[in-house]
Amino acid sequence: MTSLPGFTVQIDQNPYLPVGGRDVSAVVTVTADTEATDGAPSWQDSADGSAEIIIVDCSGSMDFPPEKILAARAATSAAVDVIRDGARFAIVAGTNTAWPVYPTDGSMAVADARTRAEAKQAVTGLRSNGGTAIGQWLRLTHRIFQSYPATLRHAILLTDGKNQHETPEELAAAIGLCEGSFRCDCRGVGTDWVVDELRKISTALLGTVDIVPDPAGLAADFEEMMRGAMSKQLPDVMLRVWTPQTAIAKFVKQVAPAIEDLTGRRSQTSPQVGEYPTGAWAPGESRDYHVGVQVNVGAVGQEMLAARVSLVASSPSGQQILGQGLIRATWTEDEALSTRINPGVAHYTGQAELAAAIQDGLEANKRGDEETATAQLGRAVALAHAAGNEDTAKLLAKVVDVMDEATGTVRLKKKVSTADEMALDTRSAKTVRVKKE
Amino acid sequence: MTSPCPACGEPFGPDDGFCEVCGAELAPAAVSSGAADGARECPLCAAAGHPPAGVSPEGYCEFCGRKVPSGRDREELDVGPAAGVTDRGLRHARNEDAMALAATRVSGEPVALAVVCDGVSSAPRSDEASLSAVRAATGALLSAVRAGDDPAAASAGAARAAGSAVADLASAAGAPAATYASAVVDGTGVTVCWLGDSRVYWLAADVSGSRRLTTDDSLAEELVATGATVEEAMQSPQAHVITRWLGADLPEPEPHVARFEPPGQGAVLLCTDGLWNYSPEATELAAMALPGALTDPLAAAAALVKFAVDAGGADNITTVLMPFPPAWPETSPRSER
Repeated sequence: MTSLPGFTVQIDQNPYLPVGGRDVSAVVTVTADTEATDGAPSWQDSADGSAEIIIVDCSGSMDFPPEKILAARAATSAAVDVIRDGARFAIVAGTNTAWPVYPTDGSMAVADARTRAEAKQAVTGLRSNGGTAIGQWLRLTHRIFQSYPATLRHAILLTDGKNQHETPEELAAAIGLCEGSFRCDCRGVGTDWVVDELRKISTALLGTVDIVPDPAGLAADFEEMMRGAMSKQLPDVMLRVWTPQTAIAKFVKQVAPAIEDLTGRRSQTSPQVGEYPTGAWAPGESRDYHVGVQVNVGAVGQEMLAARVSLVASSPSGQQILGQGLIRATWTEDEALSTRINPGVAHYTGQAELAAAIQDGLEANKRGDEETATAQLGRAVALAHAAGNEDTAKLLAKVVDVMDEATGTVRLKKKVSTADEMALDTRSAKTVRVKKE
Repeated sequence: MTSPCPACGEPFGPDDGFCEVCGAELAPAAVSSGAADGARECPLCAAAGHPPAGVSPEGYCEFCGRKVPSGRDREELDVGPAAGVTDRGLRHARNEDAMALAATRVSGEPVALAVVCDGVSSAPRSDEASLSAVRAATGALLSAVRAGDDPAAASAGAARAAGSAVADLASAAGAPAATYASAVVDGTGVTVCWLGDSRVYWLAADVSGSRRLTTDDSLAEELVATGATVEEAMQSPQAHVITRWLGADLPEPEPHVARFEPPGQGAVLLCTDGLWNYSPEATELAAMALPGALTDPLAAAAALVKFAVDAGGADNITTVLMPFPPAWPETSPRSER
């Protein structure tokens, strides 16, 4: 049997419920061990199971300014250099259609010095001309991935514009086709692309979305993304949640490093068990999840298992549980116990509110509702300050003038750069972890 | 007087702790470890007519998620000259009390000993702490008593052994803690040893001669020492805060040791605060337990537990009764697990 690495699962919660209480909430910290406990090398060290596809926007707008297409070529080359020997890879160009740039026959190359050089040569021939139909790009990428049975499939998608040459339904259908087939990190260069469009792709395909306002930053960003992708060694890990009969798993959200609501991604595997996709993991990687369960009321003194959270991976020998943690509930008349606020749960509840306040504030600003925008973004400033979320506080300070960060007294800036607004939008879901006392 | 070794059948003498032939411990301590009969199905689901769904390794029903009563929720132990009952009560999710009892003969004379520990609920793994403590303490106490050691030194040594066992459980998650009370009853008297607020009482056959043999290590007791009435002290929100305990967060606590030589017949009672909260007076306890404790200590211990449960059962309850002078009852012990 293949030995898979273990996961450490830590549960942070207040297990005490008041008389009649039903809602149990916990922060679940999941960390992939760096090596198996028995010392055996457990992570697959070969790049053989990895496949990478880089999707480059070649629409006409990439020539305005021409630095964009030049930067895209350079960034693609930089990413190709980071692909490990033995991994499969391909490069796709996209306009209102899509075609394989390397290898040109729609297969995948095995990374080595020769193929990397050939790929970089092919990239220099990329010219911009045509429209934007991202669904077409994704469909071709999906087809190319099908040509080789890799376990770790990852794509990088770069665009500079909105999806003009197909309907939103066509894009949604293409995303649906690719879901579960490969992971995809999305990058928008410049400010003419639509955050929501790329976010739909990155959320469904378990990747990230970000803005690269200046084409000059593209190469470094691509390199980092590819390095991140190459560090992943364990594919398709599911977060499995067992709940008692008559209990309801109300929500399951990833809350660190960024907020991703997985509630709607549940697949019911048996009456009391649901599974949520978490994508691929690197050794030592750690993420936090916020799990909410509604249980049937128990008697005072009754202890209940409200949820069993486990990490499950598929291996040739079947499914394997790599780690698990227990979320408990105990009913008590002692209000000092039941009203105790768990710092971890409170922290991430605040971080989710922060993300929502930013989204609502930016949305209101677009509608011209300055009052709501000021209120929401002010609340976001206060929440970011309270949680010590400095990166988000800095991004907010580019959109609003902060008078008092503690109370969230702010004024909308008269002139806000679109890039700053988009950066705040794409990065609003990034969270910080609970400060260690 | 000889009896056959339960392991190899060889006869052994009244003073033997171990079989001279096979080395088996002849009368090992009985411990409320719950290992005997943890339920394998959820009784609440079974009562509701659900098909058996199994119990998880952590003791939860795989169907309804409720904690399935463990063997520790209620246990009765009887080694002859000592018998005890421990019960989860009505309000706590699990039983964090533990007890261990043993009986032996020294120079042909019966000696009974018992240890009771109450895991501190506000500390982690307190159920493991109390169980480890009673195990370690009775092991040390029984060896020392069999070896003919001075009961006072043996009692203090056993408390220290219990302290190390609890300290060993400390981890990054915190330091488990437990109270401690022991009693060694021989033909001339009782040696008691304690830390925290578990108590030992002398229940005299002549009820009015009953008295408490321990002084709590609690803030309530400190308030009383500074002049408050017992009623005032017990109403203080901190009344039950203990000032000495077993645990890694209180290194090498000095256990109290005392010796009492009763003038006549009676019984020694060890109990946790789950009992004495409802009836702290020695004479009241004696009126409930005697004269039954003299002939059937297990039934009398069970009756005291029932009294505490009926009074509200707010905490775990443990009671151990040892008749004085110590003796094996006419009939053989009911259970010796």
